[in-house]
Amino acid sequence: MEGSCDKSDKCPRRSWLVRVLVGMNLVAIGSLLYPITRFLRPRRGTRHGTLNVVAPFRVDQLRPDADGEWPAPFEFAGKPCVLVRTSDGEIKAFNAICTHTDCTVKCRPEEGDIFCSCHGGVYDLNGQNVSGPPPRPLEAYKVILRGKPGREEIIVSRT
Amino acid sequence: MSRAPEKPNDSPATRPGLRDFFYDRMGMSVAAGLAAKKKVPIHRSTPFYFLGGMALFLFVIQIVSGVLLSLYYKPSPDQAFESVQAFMTEVDFGWLIRSVHSWAANLLIGILFLHLLTAYMMRAYRRPRELTWATGILLLALFMAFGFSGYLLPWNQLAFFATRVGTALVGVLPVVGQDLLLLARGGENVTGDTLSRFYALHVAILPLLTLAMLGFHLFLVQHHGMSVPDREALRLGGSERLPTMPFVPDFLLRDAVGWYLVLGILAALAALFPWELGEKAAPFSSAPEGIKPEWYFLFMFQALKQLPGHILGIEGELLGVLFFGCAGLVIFLIPVLDRGQISRLVLNILAALAVVFFIVMTAWGYFDKGSLRLILGASLFLGVLSLAISFSDRGTLVRRILWMLTALATLLLIIGISQELYQ
Ligand code: FES
Repeated sequence: MEGSCDKSDKCPRRSWLVRVLVGMNLVAIGSLLYPITRFLRPRRGTRHGTLNVVAPFRVDQLRPDADGEWPAPFEFAGKPCVLVRTSDGEIKAFNAICTHTDCTVKCRPEEGDIFCSCHGGVYDLNGQNVSGPPPRPLEAYKVILRGKPGREEIIVSRT
Repeated sequence: MSRAPEKPNDSPATRPGLRDFFYDRMGMSVAAGLAAKKKVPIHRSTPFYFLGGMALFLFVIQIVSGVLLSLYYKPSPDQAFESVQAFMTEVDFGWLIRSVHSWAANLLIGILFLHLLTAYMMRAYRRPRELTWATGILLLALFMAFGFSGYLLPWNQLAFFATRVGTALVGVLPVVGQDLLLLARGGENVTGDTLSRFYALHVAILPLLTLAMLGFHLFLVQHHGMSVPDREALRLGGSERLPTMPFVPDFLLRDAVGWYLVLGILAALAALFPWELGEKAAPFSSAPEGIKPEWYFLFMFQALKQLPGHILGIEGELLGVLFFGCAGLVIFLIPVLDRGQISRLVLNILAALAVVFFIVMTAWGYFDKGSLRLILGASLFLGVLSLAISFSDRGTLVRRILWMLTALATLLLIIGISQELYQ
Protein backbone atom coordinates (compact mmCIF):
# COMPACT_ATOMS: atom_id res chain seq x y z
CA MET A 1 0.00 0.00 0.00
CA GLU A 2 1.33 3.42 -0.91
CA GLY A 3 0.22 5.26 2.14
CA SER A 4 1.75 2.90 4.66
CA CYS A 5 5.33 2.92 3.41
CA ASP A 6 7.18 5.51 5.35
CA LYS A 7 10.71 4.07 5.31
CA SER A 8 12.54 4.81 2.08
CA ASP A 9 14.05 1.29 1.83
CA LYS A 10 10.60 -0.24 1.79
CA CYS A 11 9.27 2.21 -0.70
CA PRO A 12 10.96 2.25 -4.12
CA ARG A 13 9.37 5.42 -5.34
CA ARG A 14 10.38 7.39 -2.29
CA SER A 15 13.93 6.05 -2.29
CA TRP A 16 14.20 7.15 -5.89
CA LEU A 17 13.10 10.62 -4.87
CA VAL A 18 15.62 10.70 -2.05
CA ARG A 19 18.35 9.69 -4.46
CA VAL A 20 17.37 12.43 -6.87
CA LEU A 21 17.36 14.90 -4.03
CA VAL A 22 20.82 13.86 -2.87
CA GLY A 23 22.12 13.93 -6.44
CA MET A 24 20.75 17.38 -7.09
CA ASN A 25 22.26 18.65 -3.89
CA LEU A 26 25.62 17.23 -4.91
CA VAL A 27 25.33 19.01 -8.25
CA ALA A 28 24.46 22.23 -6.46
CA ILE A 29 27.42 21.90 -4.08
CA GLY A 30 29.69 21.06 -6.98
CA SER A 31 28.60 24.09 -8.95
CA LEU A 32 29.31 26.22 -5.91
CA LEU A 33 32.72 24.69 -5.29
CA TYR A 34 33.92 24.77 -8.88
CA PRO A 35 34.25 28.54 -9.22
CA ILE A 36 35.80 28.69 -5.76
CA THR A 37 38.52 26.19 -6.57
CA ARG A 38 39.18 27.97 -9.86
CA PHE A 39 39.32 31.26 -7.98
CA LEU A 40 41.95 29.86 -5.64
CA ARG A 41 44.28 29.07 -8.52
CA PRO A 42 46.92 31.73 -8.99
CA ARG A 43 46.33 34.33 -11.67
CA ARG A 44 48.08 33.82 -15.00
CA GLY A 45 50.62 36.60 -14.67
CA THR A 46 52.31 34.97 -11.72
CA ARG A 47 52.70 31.63 -13.44
CA HIS A 48 54.39 32.73 -16.62
CA GLY A 49 56.73 35.55 -17.35
CA THR A 50 58.73 37.31 -19.98
CA LEU A 51 60.97 35.27 -22.23
CA ASN A 52 64.07 37.39 -21.92
CA VAL A 53 65.50 40.28 -20.00
CA VAL A 54 68.47 42.62 -20.19
CA ALA A 55 70.61 42.39 -17.07
CA PRO A 56 70.88 45.63 -15.06
CA PHE A 57 74.66 45.66 -15.53
CA ARG A 58 77.07 45.21 -18.42
CA VAL A 59 79.83 42.64 -18.83
CA ASP A 60 82.51 44.93 -17.43
CA GLN A 61 80.40 45.54 -14.33
CA LEU A 62 80.16 41.85 -13.59
CA ARG A 63 82.87 41.72 -10.91
CA PRO A 64 83.03 41.96 -7.12
CA ASP A 65 82.40 45.42 -5.69
CA ALA A 66 84.54 47.17 -3.07
CA ASP A 67 83.28 44.85 -0.31
CA GLY A 68 83.94 41.75 -2.38
CA GLU A 69 80.22 41.27 -3.04
CA TRP A 70 79.20 39.87 -6.39
CA PRO A 71 76.38 41.73 -8.23
CA ALA A 72 73.08 40.73 -6.60
CA PRO A 73 70.49 38.63 -8.41
CA PHE A 74 67.90 40.54 -10.44
CA GLU A 75 64.40 39.73 -11.57
CA PHE A 76 63.78 37.59 -14.61
CA ALA A 77 60.24 36.35 -15.25
CA GLY A 78 59.26 36.80 -11.63
CA LYS A 79 62.23 34.89 -10.32
CA PRO A 80 65.68 35.94 -9.20
CA CYS A 81 68.43 35.36 -11.75
CA VAL A 82 72.11 35.16 -10.88
CA LEU A 83 74.99 35.74 -13.31
CA VAL A 84 78.38 34.16 -12.78
CA ARG A 85 81.68 34.09 -14.62
CA THR A 86 83.37 30.70 -14.91
CA SER A 87 87.12 30.29 -14.56
CA ASP A 88 87.57 30.45 -18.33
CA GLY A 89 85.70 33.74 -18.49
CA GLU A 90 82.39 32.46 -19.80
CA ILE A 91 79.26 34.18 -18.45
CA LYS A 92 76.48 31.92 -17.25
CA ALA A 93 73.00 32.67 -15.99
CA PHE A 94 70.98 30.60 -13.56
CA ASN A 95 67.63 30.68 -11.90
CA ALA A 96 68.84 31.74 -8.44
CA ILE A 97 66.18 29.72 -6.65
CA CYS A 98 67.91 26.94 -4.76
CA THR A 99 66.70 23.49 -5.82
CA HIS A 100 66.51 22.46 -2.19
CA THR A 101 63.75 24.53 -0.63
CA ASP A 102 63.61 27.71 -2.69
CA CYS A 103 65.99 30.11 -0.99
CA THR A 104 67.87 32.52 -3.23
CA VAL A 105 71.50 31.58 -3.82
CA LYS A 106 74.45 33.93 -4.21
CA CYS A 107 77.73 33.81 -6.05
CA ARG A 108 80.82 33.84 -3.83
CA PRO A 109 83.70 35.09 -6.01
CA GLU A 110 86.56 34.16 -3.61
CA GLU A 111 85.34 30.62 -3.08
CA GLY A 112 84.48 30.34 -6.76
CA ASP A 113 81.11 28.77 -6.07
CA ILE A 114 77.41 29.48 -5.72
CA PHE A 115 76.23 29.30 -2.15
CA CYS A 116 72.85 29.03 -0.48
CA SER A 117 72.91 30.35 3.07
CA CYS A 118 69.64 28.74 4.12
CA HIS A 119 71.01 25.25 4.65
CA GLY A 120 74.55 25.67 3.39
CA GLY A 121 74.05 24.20 -0.07
CA VAL A 122 76.96 24.64 -2.51
CA TYR A 123 76.92 24.62 -6.33
CA ASP A 124 79.88 25.05 -8.66
CA LEU A 125 79.95 27.84 -11.24
CA ASN A 126 78.30 25.56 -13.78
CA GLY A 127 75.32 25.27 -11.48
CA GLN A 128 76.07 21.67 -10.47
CA ASN A 129 75.12 20.81 -6.90
CA VAL A 130 78.37 19.95 -5.15
CA SER A 131 77.59 19.60 -1.45
CA GLY A 132 74.88 20.15 1.13
CA PRO A 133 71.20 19.37 0.76
CA PRO A 134 70.39 20.56 -2.81
CA PRO A 135 69.21 17.56 -4.82
CA ARG A 136 69.54 18.98 -8.36
CA PRO A 137 71.63 21.46 -10.32
CA LEU A 138 70.37 25.01 -10.74
CA GLU A 139 68.17 25.72 -13.74
CA ALA A 140 70.38 27.29 -16.42
CA TYR A 141 69.35 30.13 -18.75
CA LYS A 142 70.84 31.12 -22.05
CA VAL A 143 73.10 34.16 -22.18
CA ILE A 144 73.50 36.38 -25.24
CA LEU A 145 76.03 39.21 -25.34
CA ARG A 146 75.30 42.24 -27.48
CA GLY A 147 77.24 45.44 -28.13
CA LYS A 148 80.82 46.69 -27.91
CA PRO A 149 83.28 43.91 -26.98
CA GLY A 150 84.19 44.15 -23.31
CA ARG A 151 81.18 46.33 -22.53
CA GLU A 152 78.41 44.16 -23.92
CA GLU A 153 74.90 44.11 -22.63
CA ILE A 154 73.92 40.78 -21.12
CA ILE A 155 70.64 39.31 -22.33
CA VAL A 156 69.25 36.37 -20.42
CA SER A 157 66.63 34.19 -22.05
CA ARG A 158 64.88 30.91 -21.49
CA THR A 159 66.23 28.18 -23.78
CA MET B 1 7.79 34.69 22.79
CA SER B 2 6.73 31.42 24.25
CA ARG B 3 3.25 31.35 25.58
CA ALA B 4 3.94 28.60 28.07
CA PRO B 5 1.91 29.04 31.19
CA GLU B 6 3.77 30.41 34.17
CA LYS B 7 5.32 27.66 36.14
CA PRO B 8 5.46 28.65 39.77
CA ASN B 9 8.41 26.34 40.50
CA ASP B 10 10.56 27.69 37.63
CA SER B 11 12.27 30.28 39.77
CA PRO B 12 12.25 29.61 43.46
CA ALA B 13 11.25 33.09 44.43
CA THR B 14 9.92 35.93 42.35
CA ARG B 15 13.12 37.85 41.74
CA PRO B 16 12.84 41.49 40.98
CA GLY B 17 15.71 43.52 39.59
CA LEU B 18 17.87 43.66 36.48
CA ARG B 19 20.10 40.72 37.43
CA ASP B 20 17.11 38.43 37.77
CA PHE B 21 15.60 39.74 34.57
CA PHE B 22 18.55 38.31 32.68
CA TYR B 23 18.95 35.34 35.00
CA ASP B 24 15.56 34.03 34.02
CA ARG B 25 15.60 34.94 30.35
CA MET B 26 19.06 33.65 29.52
CA GLY B 27 18.53 30.25 31.06
CA MET B 28 21.24 31.02 33.57
CA SER B 29 19.87 28.40 35.90
CA VAL B 30 21.19 25.77 33.48
CA ALA B 31 24.65 27.31 33.50
CA ALA B 32 24.54 27.74 37.26
CA GLY B 33 23.51 24.12 37.67
CA LEU B 34 26.40 22.98 35.46
CA ALA B 35 28.85 25.16 37.32
CA ALA B 36 27.68 23.86 40.67
CA LYS B 37 28.07 20.26 39.50
CA LYS B 38 31.53 20.61 37.95
CA LYS B 39 34.22 19.21 40.20
CA VAL B 40 37.97 19.01 39.75
CA PRO B 41 39.81 16.04 41.26
CA ILE B 42 42.74 16.82 43.51
CA HIS B 43 45.92 14.79 43.14
CA ARG B 44 49.59 15.17 42.47
CA SER B 45 49.14 16.15 38.82
CA THR B 46 46.30 18.61 39.33
CA PRO B 47 48.52 21.63 38.50
CA PHE B 48 48.72 20.38 34.91
CA TYR B 49 45.04 21.08 34.53
CA PHE B 50 45.96 24.77 34.52
CA LEU B 51 47.84 24.59 31.23
CA GLY B 52 44.72 24.50 29.09
CA GLY B 53 43.29 27.52 30.89
CA MET B 54 46.54 29.42 30.39
CA ALA B 55 46.47 28.67 26.68
CA LEU B 56 42.88 29.86 26.50
CA PHE B 57 43.84 33.07 28.26
CA LEU B 58 46.66 33.68 25.80
CA PHE B 59 44.30 33.06 22.91
CA VAL B 60 42.05 35.82 24.23
CA ILE B 61 45.09 38.10 24.44
CA GLN B 62 45.90 37.19 20.84
CA ILE B 63 42.42 38.13 19.67
CA VAL B 64 42.52 41.49 21.42
CA SER B 65 46.06 42.42 20.39
CA GLY B 66 45.49 41.05 16.88
CA VAL B 67 42.38 43.16 16.36
CA LEU B 68 44.33 46.20 17.56
CA LEU B 69 47.17 45.51 15.15
CA SER B 70 44.76 45.13 12.26
CA LEU B 71 43.69 48.75 12.74
CA TYR B 72 47.03 49.97 11.37
CA TYR B 73 48.40 47.08 9.36
CA LYS B 74 48.22 47.18 5.55
CA PRO B 75 48.62 43.85 3.77
CA SER B 76 50.49 44.69 0.61
CA PRO B 77 54.14 44.16 -0.26
CA ASP B 78 54.69 47.90 -0.73
CA GLN B 79 53.07 48.89 2.52
CA ALA B 80 53.18 45.99 4.97
CA PHE B 81 56.68 46.58 6.28
CA GLU B 82 56.25 50.35 6.34
CA SER B 83 52.92 50.16 8.13
CA VAL B 84 54.36 47.94 10.85
CA GLN B 85 57.36 50.21 11.15
CA ALA B 86 55.09 53.24 11.33
CA PHE B 87 52.80 51.98 14.03
CA MET B 88 55.74 50.75 16.07
CA THR B 89 57.24 54.22 16.11
CA GLU B 90 54.33 56.62 15.67
CA VAL B 91 51.37 55.07 17.43
CA ASP B 92 51.32 55.20 21.22
CA PHE B 93 52.25 51.78 22.57
CA GLY B 94 52.37 50.41 19.02
CA TRP B 95 55.65 48.65 19.78
CA LEU B 96 54.14 47.15 22.92
CA ILE B 97 51.01 45.76 21.26
CA ARG B 98 53.07 44.18 18.50
CA SER B 99 55.55 42.82 21.00
CA VAL B 100 52.74 41.37 23.11
CA HIS B 101 51.18 39.74 20.05
CA SER B 102 54.46 38.10 19.01
CA TRP B 103 55.49 37.01 22.48
CA ALA B 104 52.03 35.73 23.35
CA ALA B 105 52.03 33.66 20.16
CA ASN B 106 55.28 32.02 21.19
CA LEU B 107 54.19 31.46 24.78
CA LEU B 108 50.92 30.03 23.53
CA ILE B 109 52.66 27.44 21.39
CA GLY B 110 55.03 26.61 24.22
CA ILE B 111 52.16 26.09 26.64
CA LEU B 112 50.29 24.01 24.10
CA PHE B 113 53.34 21.75 23.75
CA LEU B 114 53.37 21.29 27.53
CA HIS B 115 49.61 20.76 27.55
CA LEU B 116 50.05 18.06 24.91
CA LEU B 117 52.90 16.42 26.75
CA THR B 118 51.18 16.38 30.13
CA ALA B 119 47.92 15.18 28.62
CA TYR B 120 49.90 12.35 27.09
CA MET B 121 51.60 11.54 30.38
CA MET B 122 48.28 11.52 32.22
CA ARG B 123 46.94 9.37 29.40
CA ALA B 124 44.02 11.74 29.25
CA TYR B 125 43.19 10.45 25.77
CA ARG B 126 41.71 7.20 27.06
CA ARG B 127 38.13 6.31 26.28
CA PRO B 128 35.84 8.31 26.21
CA ARG B 129 38.18 11.25 25.57
CA GLU B 130 39.59 10.24 22.18
CA LEU B 131 37.91 13.14 20.43
CA THR B 132 39.11 15.60 23.05
CA TRP B 133 42.63 14.50 22.19
CA ALA B 134 42.01 14.67 18.43
CA THR B 135 40.52 18.17 18.59
CA GLY B 136 43.44 19.21 20.79
CA ILE B 137 45.96 18.05 18.19
CA LEU B 138 44.02 19.83 15.46
CA LEU B 139 44.02 22.98 17.58
CA LEU B 140 47.78 22.73 17.97
CA ALA B 141 48.08 22.42 14.19
CA LEU B 142 45.82 25.45 13.76
CA PHE B 143 47.91 27.51 16.14
CA MET B 144 51.09 26.51 14.37
CA ALA B 145 49.44 27.63 11.14
CA PHE B 146 48.61 30.91 12.87
CA GLY B 147 52.26 31.26 13.74
CA PHE B 148 53.46 30.41 10.27
CA SER B 149 51.07 32.75 8.48
CA GLY B 150 51.57 35.57 10.97
CA TYR B 151 55.34 35.36 10.63
CA LEU B 152 55.17 36.56 7.01
CA LEU B 153 52.88 39.54 7.59
CA PRO B 154 55.56 42.12 8.55
CA TRP B 155 57.17 41.30 5.19
CA ASN B 156 60.77 41.34 6.39
CA GLN B 157 63.75 39.46 4.97
CA LEU B 158 63.78 36.64 7.52
CA ALA B 159 60.06 36.04 7.23
CA PHE B 160 60.09 36.24 3.46
CA PHE B 161 62.73 33.55 3.05
CA ALA B 162 61.42 31.43 5.90
CA THR B 163 58.07 31.40 4.12
CA ARG B 164 59.72 30.44 0.84
CA VAL B 165 61.49 27.55 2.53
CA GLY B 166 58.42 26.52 4.52
CA THR B 167 56.02 26.50 1.59
CA ALA B 168 58.58 24.81 -0.66
CA LEU B 169 58.38 21.80 1.67
CA VAL B 170 54.78 21.32 0.59
CA GLY B 171 55.91 21.34 -3.01
CA VAL B 172 58.12 18.25 -2.63
CA LEU B 173 55.12 16.00 -1.99
CA PRO B 174 54.46 13.67 -4.88
CA VAL B 175 51.45 14.25 -7.18
CA VAL B 176 49.62 16.97 -5.24
CA GLY B 177 52.72 18.92 -4.17
CA GLN B 178 52.83 21.44 -7.00
CA ASP B 179 49.11 22.23 -6.81
CA LEU B 180 49.28 22.68 -3.05
CA LEU B 181 52.27 24.94 -3.50
CA LEU B 182 50.37 27.12 -5.99
CA LEU B 183 47.41 27.16 -3.64
CA ALA B 184 49.52 28.21 -0.66
CA ARG B 185 51.59 30.83 -2.45
CA GLY B 186 49.04 32.10 -4.93
CA GLY B 187 51.72 31.84 -7.61
CA GLU B 188 54.97 30.07 -8.31
CA ASN B 189 56.77 32.40 -5.99
CA VAL B 190 56.19 34.19 -2.73
CA THR B 191 54.68 37.49 -3.89
CA GLY B 192 52.10 40.07 -2.87
CA ASP B 193 49.43 37.49 -3.62
CA THR B 194 51.01 35.21 -1.03
CA LEU B 195 50.88 38.02 1.49
CA SER B 196 47.16 38.54 0.81
CA ARG B 197 46.49 34.83 1.19
CA PHE B 198 48.39 34.58 4.42
CA TYR B 199 46.60 37.65 5.70
CA ALA B 200 43.18 36.18 4.92
CA LEU B 201 44.27 32.93 6.52
CA HIS B 202 45.58 34.66 9.61
CA VAL B 203 42.70 37.03 10.30
CA ALA B 204 39.65 35.24 8.89
CA ILE B 205 39.97 31.56 8.03
CA LEU B 206 42.08 30.33 10.93
CA PRO B 207 40.18 32.29 13.61
CA LEU B 208 36.86 30.88 12.43
CA LEU B 209 38.17 27.33 12.33
CA THR B 210 39.89 27.77 15.68
CA LEU B 211 36.81 29.14 17.40
CA ALA B 212 34.70 26.24 16.14
CA MET B 213 37.31 23.65 17.08
CA LEU B 214 37.93 25.28 20.44
CA GLY B 215 34.21 25.31 21.19
CA PHE B 216 34.06 21.61 20.45
CA HIS B 217 37.17 20.89 22.53
CA LEU B 218 35.82 22.82 25.53
CA PHE B 219 32.43 21.22 25.22
CA LEU B 220 34.04 17.78 25.32
CA VAL B 221 36.16 18.73 28.32
CA GLN B 222 33.04 19.94 30.09
CA HIS B 223 31.04 16.92 29.04
CA HIS B 224 33.54 14.26 30.15
CA GLY B 225 34.97 16.07 33.15
CA MET B 226 38.65 16.05 34.07
CA SER B 227 40.62 12.93 33.34
CA VAL B 228 42.37 11.33 36.29
CA PRO B 229 45.70 9.54 35.76
CA ASP B 230 45.51 5.78 36.36
CA ARG B 231 48.17 5.85 38.98
CA GLU B 232 46.39 8.42 41.12
CA ALA B 233 43.11 6.57 40.83
CA LEU B 234 44.81 3.30 41.74
CA ARG B 235 46.50 4.75 44.77
CA LEU B 236 43.20 5.63 46.33
CA GLY B 237 41.27 2.71 44.95
CA GLY B 238 39.13 4.23 42.21
CA SER B 239 38.85 7.68 40.77
CA GLU B 240 35.57 8.32 42.64
CA ARG B 241 37.51 8.19 45.90
CA LEU B 242 39.77 11.10 44.97
CA PRO B 243 39.15 14.32 46.86
CA THR B 244 37.70 17.05 44.64
CA MET B 245 37.19 20.76 44.66
CA PRO B 246 34.33 22.64 43.06
CA PHE B 247 35.20 24.30 39.76
CA VAL B 248 33.45 27.51 40.82
CA PRO B 249 34.97 29.24 42.64
CA ASP B 250 37.90 27.13 43.95
CA PHE B 251 39.44 25.95 40.71
CA LEU B 252 38.53 29.08 38.78
CA LEU B 253 40.37 31.25 41.27
CA ARG B 254 43.42 29.01 41.00
CA ASP B 255 43.09 29.24 37.23
CA ALA B 256 43.12 33.02 37.57
CA VAL B 257 46.43 32.75 39.39
CA GLY B 258 47.74 30.88 36.35
CA TRP B 259 46.48 33.63 34.07
CA TYR B 260 48.15 36.31 36.12
CA LEU B 261 51.35 34.32 36.03
CA VAL B 262 51.18 34.18 32.24
CA LEU B 263 50.27 37.86 32.04
CA GLY B 264 53.24 38.74 34.23
CA ILE B 265 55.70 36.70 32.15
CA LEU B 266 54.20 38.09 28.94
CA ALA B 267 54.38 41.69 30.09
CA ALA B 268 57.97 41.29 31.23
CA LEU B 269 59.05 39.65 27.98
CA ALA B 270 57.18 42.09 25.75
CA ALA B 271 58.47 45.17 27.54
CA LEU B 272 62.05 44.02 28.14
CA PHE B 273 62.63 42.34 24.78
CA PRO B 274 60.55 44.23 22.22
CA TRP B 275 60.04 42.14 19.09
CA GLU B 276 62.42 43.09 16.30
CA LEU B 277 61.24 44.04 12.85
CA GLY B 278 64.41 43.46 10.83
CA GLU B 279 64.89 44.56 7.24
CA LYS B 280 62.26 44.89 4.56
CA ALA B 281 62.00 41.89 2.26
CA ALA B 282 63.87 42.18 -1.03
CA PRO B 283 62.32 39.40 -3.10
CA PHE B 284 65.07 39.10 -5.70
CA SER B 285 68.10 39.45 -3.48
CA SER B 286 70.13 36.55 -2.17
CA ALA B 287 68.96 35.05 1.08
CA PRO B 288 70.71 36.67 4.05
CA GLU B 289 72.67 34.61 6.56
CA GLY B 290 70.85 33.10 9.50
CA ILE B 291 67.46 32.34 7.96
CA LYS B 292 65.46 30.75 10.76
CA PRO B 293 61.84 29.97 11.34
CA GLU B 294 60.16 30.53 14.70
CA TRP B 295 61.56 28.29 17.42
CA TYR B 296 58.72 25.77 17.24
CA PHE B 297 59.56 24.95 13.65
CA LEU B 298 63.27 25.02 14.31
CA PHE B 299 63.61 21.30 15.03
CA MET B 300 62.19 20.47 11.60
CA PHE B 301 64.33 23.12 9.93
CA GLN B 302 67.47 21.86 11.61
CA ALA B 303 66.70 18.24 10.82
CA LEU B 304 65.99 19.00 7.15
CA LYS B 305 69.27 20.87 6.99
CA GLN B 306 71.15 17.68 7.85
CA LEU B 307 69.59 15.57 5.12
CA PRO B 308 71.70 15.12 1.99
CA GLY B 309 70.25 15.78 -1.46
CA HIS B 310 69.37 12.15 -2.03
CA ILE B 311 68.87 9.18 0.25
CA LEU B 312 68.61 5.85 -1.59
CA GLY B 313 67.58 7.70 -4.72
CA ILE B 314 64.77 9.63 -3.03
CA GLU B 315 65.04 13.36 -2.50
CA GLY B 316 66.17 14.04 1.05
CA GLU B 317 63.63 16.73 1.83
CA LEU B 318 60.76 14.54 0.64
CA LEU B 319 61.84 11.86 3.11
CA GLY B 320 62.08 14.49 5.83
CA VAL B 321 58.63 15.87 5.12
CA LEU B 322 57.12 12.38 5.03
CA PHE B 323 58.85 11.54 8.30
CA PHE B 324 57.39 14.56 10.09
CA GLY B 325 54.01 13.94 8.51
CA CYS B 326 54.00 10.38 9.84
CA ALA B 327 55.10 11.59 13.27
CA GLY B 328 52.18 14.01 13.34
CA LEU B 329 49.80 11.25 12.29
CA VAL B 330 51.06 8.95 15.04
CA ILE B 331 50.49 11.69 17.63
CA PHE B 332 46.99 12.26 16.29
CA LEU B 333 46.23 8.54 16.45
CA ILE B 334 47.64 7.85 19.92
CA PRO B 335 44.21 7.06 21.42
CA VAL B 336 43.80 4.29 18.83
CA LEU B 337 47.38 3.06 18.98
CA ASP B 338 47.43 2.63 22.74
CA ARG B 339 45.90 -0.81 23.10
CA GLY B 340 47.80 -2.55 25.83
CA GLN B 341 50.96 -2.90 27.85
CA ILE B 342 53.30 -3.45 24.91
CA SER B 343 51.98 -0.77 22.59
CA ARG B 344 52.06 1.61 25.53
CA LEU B 345 55.70 0.82 26.15
CA VAL B 346 56.52 1.42 22.49
CA LEU B 347 54.62 4.70 22.53
CA ASN B 348 56.39 5.82 25.69
CA ILE B 349 59.79 5.08 24.20
CA LEU B 350 58.84 6.91 21.01
CA ALA B 351 57.55 9.86 23.02
CA ALA B 352 60.77 10.07 25.04
CA LEU B 353 62.79 9.91 21.82
CA ALA B 354 60.61 12.61 20.26
CA VAL B 355 61.11 14.93 23.23
CA VAL B 356 64.88 14.39 23.18
CA PHE B 357 64.93 14.89 19.41
CA PHE B 358 62.93 18.11 19.72
CA ILE B 359 65.17 19.51 22.43
CA VAL B 360 68.46 18.57 20.81
CA MET B 361 67.45 19.84 17.38
CA THR B 362 66.03 23.10 18.76
CA ALA B 363 69.13 23.80 20.82
CA TRP B 364 71.34 22.96 17.87
CA GLY B 365 69.38 25.15 15.49
CA TYR B 366 69.11 28.04 17.88
CA PHE B 367 72.74 28.63 18.72
CA ASP B 368 75.97 28.31 16.82
CA LYS B 369 77.95 28.48 20.03
CA GLY B 370 78.40 25.18 21.85
CA SER B 371 78.05 26.56 25.38
CA LEU B 372 74.79 28.36 24.59
CA ARG B 373 73.50 25.18 23.00
CA LEU B 374 74.37 23.37 26.18
CA ILE B 375 72.51 25.95 28.29
CA LEU B 376 69.37 25.85 26.20
CA GLY B 377 69.40 22.07 25.89
CA ALA B 378 70.03 21.45 29.56
CA SER B 379 67.41 23.91 30.76
CA LEU B 380 64.80 22.48 28.41
CA PHE B 381 65.69 18.99 29.65
CA LEU B 382 65.27 20.14 33.23
CA GLY B 383 61.89 21.60 32.43
CA VAL B 384 60.61 18.41 30.88
CA LEU B 385 62.15 16.22 33.59
CA SER B 386 60.40 18.22 36.27
CA LEU B 387 57.14 17.32 34.54
CA ALA B 388 58.03 13.67 34.39
CA ILE B 389 59.00 13.43 38.04
CA SER B 390 55.55 14.33 39.26
CA PHE B 391 54.16 11.38 37.34
CA SER B 392 56.34 8.72 38.88
CA ASP B 393 55.99 7.14 42.27
CA ARG B 394 58.38 7.76 45.09
CA GLY B 395 61.12 5.18 45.38
CA THR B 396 60.58 3.46 42.05
CA LEU B 397 63.44 2.79 39.69
CA VAL B 398 62.00 5.22 37.14
CA ARG B 399 62.02 7.99 39.66
CA ARG B 400 65.59 7.28 40.66
CA ILE B 401 66.67 7.38 37.01
CA LEU B 402 64.81 10.65 36.56
CA TRP B 403 66.60 12.18 39.53
CA MET B 404 69.93 11.05 38.14
CA LEU B 405 69.12 12.63 34.79
CA THR B 406 68.09 15.80 36.60
CA ALA B 407 71.41 15.92 38.40
CA LEU B 408 73.20 15.36 35.09
CA ALA B 409 71.23 18.11 33.33
CA THR B 410 71.93 20.51 36.20
CA LEU B 411 75.62 19.72 35.96
CA LEU B 412 75.58 20.36 32.21
CA LEU B 413 73.71 23.61 32.79
CA ILE B 414 76.34 24.76 35.27
CA ILE B 415 79.14 23.81 32.88
CA GLY B 416 77.43 25.67 30.05
CA ILE B 417 76.86 28.82 32.08
CA SER B 418 80.38 28.87 33.49
CA GLN B 419 81.83 28.44 30.00
CA GLU B 420 79.69 31.29 28.78
CA LEU B 421 80.79 33.53 31.67
CA TYR B 422 84.52 32.86 31.50
CA GLN B 423 85.06 33.17 27.80
S1 FES C 1 67.26 26.17 0.27
FE1 FES C 1 69.25 26.23 -0.48
S2 FES C 1 70.26 24.79 0.74
FE2 FES C 1 68.22 24.64 1.43
